[in-house]
Amino acid sequence: MKRKKIIRYVLLSLLLIGGTSAIYIYKEYNRTHKDTARLKPVYSLTATDLEKEFEGNETATTQKYADKVLRVEGIVKEVVKDDKGFYTVVLGDTLSMSSVRCSIDSLHSKDVMEVKKGTTLAVKGICSGFNADEMLGSDVILIRSVVDLKN
Amino acid sequence: MKNLFVMTIALLVAMTGMSQKFYTKNGQINFDATSPASPEKIEGINRSATCVVDTKSGNMQFAALMKGFAFERALMEEHFNENYVESDKYPKAEFKGEIKNSDKVDFTKDGNYTVKIKGKLTMHGESNDVETEAKISIQNGKIKATADLNVLLSDYKVSIPGLVADKVSKTVKISVSCLLEPLKS
Repeated sequence: MKRKKIIRYVLLSLLLIGGTSAIYIYKEYNRTHKDTARLKPVYSLTATDLEKEFEGNETATTQKYADKVLRVEGIVKEVVKDDKGFYTVVLGDTLSMSSVRCSIDSLHSKDVMEVKKGTTLAVKGICSGFNADEMLGSDVILIRSVVDLKN
Repeated sequence: MKNLFVMTIALLVAMTGMSQKFYTKNGQINFDATSPASPEKIEGINRSATCVVDTKSGNMQFAALMKGFAFERALMEEHFNENYVESDKYPKAEFKGEIKNSDKVDFTKDGNYTVKIKGKLTMHGESNDVETEAKISIQNGKIKATADLNVLLSDYKVSIPGLVADKVSKTVKISVSCLLEPLKS
């Protein structure tokens, strides 16, 4: 009788562990990216300061900012819409080829449609690194970016 | 005054016509590792690749940050960066090569061409010779270029864990699409 009870408890425990694991795996597998608009920036800085920091020490700055949510404020040099309708907002010094290029999350495209060149804008995005190029100018790349509407 | 205006316009037109280098910073690269056994598409898209083409020499160059590849599922993107391409260690992918038959292309007027591209693709710290065909379309002084390339992950020492080996294709299809503008120096 006691043995049967133990077997029942073991089976129930296994079922519970199996069920919990299955739910966890399912949730983890289907996990989507968090909306950047809801994320708090880890660092907040200007486009020109961010650019300068990367130019000063690319390796250390990449380690500091890569994968982090940054809030970057700067002058809009350009708003680019590609042939598939995706937007990129380019921030920085208008006299320089180097910039902070922010790929806009398609869920938030409507927020950049009216953005004008020459205005000051704050953008939040995930830093994916620095693309250094002597000829084209070096760019800091932010992905899944959104306009910081709180300002 | 009128002459100066005419000369300035002529100079600008001549400079545009003489432009040898074309570039973009919004090149799109698709990375597709979907296999027939994949339960869904394994696809990452990078929309901030840089590309420069010298129309005189035919030389061309591509660069893309590995962390710039966005996947629909967060877990897929994490595995791509952490386990497969090791983006922290090898942050960039680069292609340096040339258009083999660029002399057949008239970059000064509208037209469509198929060209041969040959060069070295560097990814995950490994460089390999690659060759493919690209479609080039000249429109209003801009170049629209598209190309597909199949690469073996093993050539770039990207290893796939045994547990998901049949779910990820051993050959990855890389598709490039960009609109290049004249580079004003």
